Amino acid sequence: MNAVKSNPFHFKVGLFAAASLLLIGLFLVYLLHARGFFEHTYRLKLAAASADGVAPGVPLVFSGIEIGRVASLGLNDNGGIVINVELLERNARWLKQNSSFTLDKPFVGGAKIRVDTPDLKAPPLPDNSTMLLLSADISKEIPVLVDRVKTILDNIDHLTRKDGELNATLANVKTLTGNMTGEYGMLEGVLGSPEKARAVTDSLDKTRALLSKLDGLALKMDGMAVKADTWLFSQDGVATQTRASLQQIRALLDDAQSSLKKADAMMTNAVAISADVREGTQDIARLRAEIDEAVRRANALVNEINKKWPFARDPEVKLP
Amino acid sequence: MNFFAATLESLGAKLVGWFDVGYGMFAFLARALMLLLDPATWNRATFDVVIKQVYFTAVQILHVFLGYALVISWLIITIILSTAREFGLTEFATEMAIRVLVLELLPFLTALFIALRSGSAINTEVALMRVNNELDALDHCKVPPMQFEFLPRLIGGVVSVVTLATLAGLVALLLAYLSIYGMSMAGFEAFTRTVAKIFDFRIVAGLAMKCALFGLAVTLIPVTAGLETPKKLFMVPVSVLRGMMRVFFAIVAIEVMSLALKYI
Amino acid sequence: MAALPDDVARVALDLPLRANLSALDNVALIPLYQRHLDAAEAVRQALAVLDALGHADIAPLRDPDMTPAQRFVTQLARALMLKRPRLVIDRPGAMLYDVPYPEFIKRLAAQPAMTGTWEIFDFGWNQALYPQ
Repeated sequence: MNAVKSNPFHFKVGLFAAASLLLIGLFLVYLLHARGFFEHTYRLKLAAASADGVAPGVPLVFSGIEIGRVASLGLNDNGGIVINVELLERNARWLKQNSSFTLDKPFVGGAKIRVDTPDLKAPPLPDNSTMLLLSADISKEIPVLVDRVKTILDNIDHLTRKDGELNATLANVKTLTGNMTGEYGMLEGVLGSPEKARAVTDSLDKTRALLSKLDGLALKMDGMAVKADTWLFSQDGVATQTRASLQQIRALLDDAQSSLKKADAMMTNAVAISADVREGTQDIARLRAEIDEAVRRANALVNEINKKWPFARDPEVKLP
Repeated sequence: MNFFAATLESLGAKLVGWFDVGYGMFAFLARALMLLLDPATWNRATFDVVIKQVYFTAVQILHVFLGYALVISWLIITIILSTAREFGLTEFATEMAIRVLVLELLPFLTALFIALRSGSAINTEVALMRVNNELDALDHCKVPPMQFEFLPRLIGGVVSVVTLATLAGLVALLLAYLSIYGMSMAGFEAFTRTVAKIFDFRIVAGLAMKCALFGLAVTLIPVTAGLETPKKLFMVPVSVLRGMMRVFFAIVAIEVMSLALKYI
Repeated sequence: MAALPDDVARVALDLPLRANLSALDNVALIPLYQRHLDAAEAVRQALAVLDALGHADIAPLRDPDMTPAQRFVTQLARALMLKRPRLVIDRPGAMLYDVPYPEFIKRLAAQPAMTGTWEIFDFGWNQALYPQ
């Protein structure tokens, strides 16, 4: 109505409208960029034995960061389960041909598909490829884990019960330490890593890794023992040159003990975290008891070795 | 028995009253929408009045409003961040802050702000126009007041609430980023991922729809409440009181409805 | 009084001006929204009517800032703008309470651009104020 004289509101309202529209436009462009509107959508198929716990929207996680989501589930012609995952092109670079895909169902929080890429220099995974989805269901792993701990303890028992075998091992120490330091180095690499403070799943993974290493160690010792029997008695006795090596094996066993303690600490952690989850509590408590037992028996092992130790004792090693 | 009859009668009267109010409102809205479709409405004069309304509803208070949005956002973000840190849920803090502020709280507060400031003014003005016979005078001149008094107010309200809520939301987004990652681009990718996760098409469309409904509620209800004022000067405060109560209920109803649609 | 037919333009106390619009805009509303003229043309016509009544200077004033005489002139201009066959001034004494209103109206009517007749309805006891 004031068209004759210049309207005093026009400039301000125009400025307001222009600035708002510009900001809204920029935000919409940013949003489209964020949602990958300008990018190709990368598709991945995962073949799984069971779709239990997987639903559209379950995230694909790389190093703890969500890079994609499950778009749909379906069956293929053979009745196998096919999980379709969609992710943005820019996130697809983390997927390599040697990547492994694991379905994680932690005690706390929703299920997720974890991507592990051991070598980021490996050739990239092409679009629309099909990979295998592994299962890492903790509740299913616990009995297996307990069994393995038992086996290890049996092995250690077996090893220490028979004097001949232990002595044989000590005698064969050169080869043995050569082998075992390699193992031991890996062991420490796993255990000493700063990741032990991570959540339940990681703790359990680590524990599992540690236990399998110990398992391997025990098997090796067994193997050595058989081979070394004749060799020991044909020699003049345990020569002085092996003293240093013997000290090494003791240090190794000490470390095995402290490794088990670390595993124990992790389990304590795991128990604390999952304390709220009623269903899991019984299993965890049993597992906890088993681990306690493992530590106790490992202590006994080291004590026994110390007792039988024919040479000068190292006063610095204190055993609980 | 008499008591029951009286209760029933008063209940019936109340229901009829509500129905009347609702009917009046929607009939008015329908007339306004019909007028929007009429090409004769879209002339320079209507445009000028709309601009005037947008100026009074949004531009005039922009600095106050943005300051207010800044303070509220800062408070809420700080509370969410410190709580999240305490409980070890930092990874959810960004999403939570954005959802609470941008999607719910800021549009709601914007609507309340506009209702308090412009809605009450509109209600008073329309009630006074009616009591002072100004509407009768316009009627005598065969000038329909809808086009130059009411419709521009409705448009101005919708435009203002949508724009102000958007601007406040952008301010909150920026503030959330700065509070979480500081003055660096380090968190940009993670932040972008969170934003992408929250704002899908449905959410953005729903947010725009909700803001538009808020804008309509804070102008349409005061106009209709003003129009039904009896021609007595002392009824003007009563009319504003009733109108503002209805606006408040409408805002809450829209918010509840949007939440129900989103999470159920 | 209220039941006058549609072809009558009234100037009356119960038909006030729109309070938050200037005198010019109040008059310009009619060509703008009734005849759908564009804003510039409507304002030009409104100004022409005010000018014809010899009161072009009140164009920017709003209702609360006007004297009773100025308010009356604006209402009259609005009624003239309606361009209806009859124009009735309803009880001018109520609106023009601080001027000798029969002469005031006569002066307005005597403006060279004015055509047609204005009918004045007033209370019987004011008959003495009208000379003819």
